[in-house]
Amino acid sequence: MPLHRQFANDGKELIIAIKGKFDFGLVQEFRQAYGDVGDQQPTVFIDLRETEYLDSSALGMLLNMRKSLGKTVKAIHIINCRPEVRSILDISRFDKLFVIE
Amino acid sequence: MDIYIEPPIDKAPTWVISDDSSFAQNVADKLQQLGLNHLKFVSLKNSNAAAVRPPIVWLISAANLVDIRVAEQLASDSATGLLITEAQAKTETWQPFANKVVNDVLLWPEPLGLVRMRIELLRRLYEVDSQVDAMRRSLAWHKARVEREHQLVEHIFQNALSRNYLDYEFVRTYLTPVSKFNGDLCLISPGPLGNIYMLMADFTGHGLAPATGALPLSQAFFAMADRGVSVAEMVTEFNYRMNRLLPNDMFCAAILLELSANGERVTYWNGGMPPALLFNDAGEILKRLNPSHMALGVVDDEEFDSRVTTFRAPKDSSIALFTDGVTELLGHQHQFLGSEALEVLLSKHPKADEFPKIVEALEGFRGETPLHDDLSLAILQCHPTGLGAVQPEADIYGLPFEMKVELTPEHLKTVDPVSHILAALSQLPFLRRHRTTIYLFLAEAFNNALEHGLLGLDSSLKQDVEGFAQYYQLRHERLAELNQGQITIRIAFATEQRQLQVSVADSGHGFAATTNKHDLTKSYGRGLDLLRQMTSDLRWDQTNREVSFNYRL
Repeated sequence: MPLHRQFANDGKELIIAIKGKFDFGLVQEFRQAYGDVGDQQPTVFIDLRETEYLDSSALGMLLNMRKSLGKTVKAIHIINCRPEVRSILDISRFDKLFVIE
Repeated sequence: MDIYIEPPIDKAPTWVISDDSSFAQNVADKLQQLGLNHLKFVSLKNSNAAAVRPPIVWLISAANLVDIRVAEQLASDSATGLLITEAQAKTETWQPFANKVVNDVLLWPEPLGLVRMRIELLRRLYEVDSQVDAMRRSLAWHKARVEREHQLVEHIFQNALSRNYLDYEFVRTYLTPVSKFNGDLCLISPGPLGNIYMLMADFTGHGLAPATGALPLSQAFFAMADRGVSVAEMVTEFNYRMNRLLPNDMFCAAILLELSANGERVTYWNGGMPPALLFNDAGEILKRLNPSHMALGVVDDEEFDSRVTTFRAPKDSSIALFTDGVTELLGHQHQFLGSEALEVLLSKHPKADEFPKIVEALEGFRGETPLHDDLSLAILQCHPTGLGAVQPEADIYGLPFEMKVELTPEHLKTVDPVSHILAALSQLPFLRRHRTTIYLFLAEAFNNALEHGLLGLDSSLKQDVEGFAQYYQLRHERLAELNQGQITIRIAFATEQRQLQVSVADSGHGFAATTNKHDLTKSYGRGLDLLRQMTSDLRWDQTNREVSFNYRL
């Protein structure tokens, strides 16, 4: 499964993990993954620990998620980035829009 | 494989040896009348008699003629009885033989029926003796074999757990099995992102059988930790393995925990283990990491719940993980330690360097009482791990190459060229470490050529969420209908400059690339910006419809 989604801490956290390649091939699946965040205003964690490849379409999808979720979530964190992924996010200045850990 | 073969109980005859005396000849004649077919008669006069080393012997002799050395020699490896005449049998004559030199002494004359009983009794004594002997040999053989096998298994365990990172700077452990093999398991491994994983598991029972389950579990743990797999996925795999492996009445309680590289973020899954304790160095218990799942190996995949719990560990806090062997530790006054006492103990000695005091207190509590369960306690400090991300080994020598990939609509519809090119490039020296970045710029350049050059898509469609999905739907549809055009990708690697030269050309007539500065939050038009920032000498050649750039490794 390239995308794994799981609520943690009784619905206060939503963890979405993406494996391998993160690009427009996941556009529908990714939208569905954050389609229902519940009513607890959870923190969303995008776990990129096993994301090897990503391109600008993935960055677009992350931005769309941010736009759609707005205030229904507490914050969006991008976690466990490999160094190369991290530098792509930094170049795109995603640190200004997301919490990157 | 060698096996132990039980030696058969000897069906040897009972030898009756008579000396020179007429008394002995006379008694031998009488015994022959008994008709016992295991009795074999032989005379000491006969030169063969000395060579006979029979297991069961009756020596017949007139008391004044008994040769004690002959008797001793016979008795050394036989069940030996002595028959002597009553007439001359003063106590001092037969006493030296009784119970020491021979097993039985009979004084003649004796009713024949009784003599027969004694002959049979001596035979049975011999049989029992040899059975006991055989069992002793068999036990010794099995003991040696078990020891040998334990040595082998111990060796296997040592190897399987050799990469267990118990020496990790910020962990303290106290692991004490009841027997040689531990039914508890405490595994620590760094992940590839500088994170650290810790597994504390407790198999039903203790000893070799439960310890066996530790092998597949630890193999899965280390392999998945290397890959940096998430806690939820790890426990799902563990459960799958344990469920298939363990018998129905055996399972494995476990808590798996991951601490992020900065030492702040804790993710855990607890199936049937006592609550691990988060405490700070002032000795306050901040949190109990309660079990919210069944132990591993109980339910099958569909029922298994891999949901994790996460929290942020405050500065200077630690997590104590332990098996029930600790809280159910039996004290020298026959009382259990209990979880409250453990909490008190941690509160009293919360600092890392005070760990020996906790161990000392546990050992003091136990005194001389033998352990009745494996005991494991580990304390992990929530401290930046200092491990850093794993760097793949740097290559020293590179391989210069050039490649050209010409893609017709047939290819474009059926394969994902960028992934395939990357699969090949990431096998080459130097390039593997840069595969994520190489993928990114190749994907940008290729998608630009395909989407705008050949398919004539307009990026501005992507400006809202719906349009974004629509854009990719359109890409899918137009690609399916594409029947002409070509994309050519050229990649060359110069080892001396450690530079990749890339060009991507298309035969279309769509939009030229525009690379205006744009709003940070826009979900489109980012691709060429990224290219510009990550590569050098980015050029767009309108005549050849070719984008080219260099990337220095």
